[in-house]
Amino acid sequence: MYDAPHMTESHVTAAADVKIAARNVQVYYGDNHAIKDVNVDIQDKTVTAFIGPSGCGKSTFLRCLNRMNDTIDVARIEGDIRIDGQDIYDKAVDPVQLRAKVGMVFQKPNPFPKSIYDNVAYGPRIHGLARNKAELDEIVERSLRRGAIWDEVKDRLNAPGTGLSGGQQQRLCIARAVATEPEILLMDEPCSALDPIATGQIEELIDELRRNYALVIVTHSMQQAARVSQKTAYFHLGNLVEYGDTTKIFTNPEDTRTENYITGRIG
Amino acid sequence: MVEQHISSAYDRDLEGIQAQIMKMGGLVEQAILDAAVSLETRDDALSEKVRAGDKTIDKLDEVINEQAARVIALRAPTAIDLRVILSVMKISSNLERIGDLAKNMAKRNTVLLTLQPVNGAASTLRRMAKEVERMLKDALDSYIQRDAELARAVINHDHDVDQMYNAIFREFLTFMMEDPRNITGCMHLHFIAKNVERMGDHVTAIAEQVVFLVEGEMPDDERPKGDTTSLDADLPS
Repeated sequence: MYDAPHMTESHVTAAADVKIAARNVQVYYGDNHAIKDVNVDIQDKTVTAFIGPSGCGKSTFLRCLNRMNDTIDVARIEGDIRIDGQDIYDKAVDPVQLRAKVGMVFQKPNPFPKSIYDNVAYGPRIHGLARNKAELDEIVERSLRRGAIWDEVKDRLNAPGTGLSGGQQQRLCIARAVATEPEILLMDEPCSALDPIATGQIEELIDELRRNYALVIVTHSMQQAARVSQKTAYFHLGNLVEYGDTTKIFTNPEDTRTENYITGRIG
Repeated sequence: MVEQHISSAYDRDLEGIQAQIMKMGGLVEQAILDAAVSLETRDDALSEKVRAGDKTIDKLDEVINEQAARVIALRAPTAIDLRVILSVMKISSNLERIGDLAKNMAKRNTVLLTLQPVNGAASTLRRMAKEVERMLKDALDSYIQRDAELARAVINHDHDVDQMYNAIFREFLTFMMEDPRNITGCMHLHFIAKNVERMGDHVTAIAEQVVFLVEGEMPDDERPKGDTTSLDADLPS
């Protein structure tokens, strides 16, 4: 059954800090109504966590934000998603350019079977962000530093990216994602394949990146959502049930469904 | 409706801690009553029972804190579970303080046995203690029933205890002025009255924790402050 989300008004915040504005977003996979009328404003320079049980639509909604669902034939998207006021589903928008602006990091680290250097240099090369080798070197170094992995790989930039440890590979993927100077970084369970130390490093990195980007992270770890995010959105059966300050959601949520989920109860 | 946890051991942990709180609450209620009755009936054995019983109350406070720390470490509680843990820790330390105050009353009872009784004071103090005991019972009921309204009623009731204390304070001043031989007894009785008045404040703090537990926010501090004796330099007429 469809219930109206709590605090509908507060999903929509002051225009000034809004990076992504989603209105009446519906997603269908064939006959399956996967996202049901989601309205949300995602703020700039903020980490927003999407939480919810498997199949609740959080990853689907995340993938709408850089048009990754375009690659799925049966997926149909309705509604309006704007980044800085620009409708990203407008026919004039090139999805490749959009994805340079809206970077993505996936659950499993997926470095290209290339050197560490080329992994990071790939995006800037295809988008023509560097005029010469020196500029490209600079972008690679800056990106690896932002990915908090420079010190560990600076002496072996020509070694294959796939030879790194899992946590290093994931940081390499983050470095690769930031190399194209995105404004938004989407992360779909970025730490689920990592040990607690590598997870801690990624979380530290997320907090650093918040200075420059709007970050949206999908996570199954309640504690991670509580630690890294300032805003949390709880999805349930395709509905955005509750969206608000992370502190509020984790200490005193409005909706019983949110409460049951974050406290580990059968909802 | 809040459901059971997927992990039933988590439910058992939380229920276990709350059962300890209720046990502790029961012991503290009895300590208040016993301390007041032993004052009125000049029953030294009962005073001794209150003094000895405080150890059990202190031990329960320790157990509750250990169990709460364990839940925090193992379960990382959130939302209602977090509020349960935070509130049991505070309720427990307030109960422990009430237990100490009852013990202190009982100690003074033993001294008072050696003195001439002060006219009517013991029965007034017993009524005041009975009032606090009833507030504590309501506060604990409101905790178990998650009843914020009942908790608010307890908070508002503290004013009555403060008024009783003000009246007794003036009464003791009068007795002391009438006959200096009353001074030692009245000083002890006054400390007992102050202990009971402080118990009321601790019960109020417990009721505030219930409001926090149920509603997620502490109640507004708008209740009238009833103990005016600290502002009162005038002698009673």
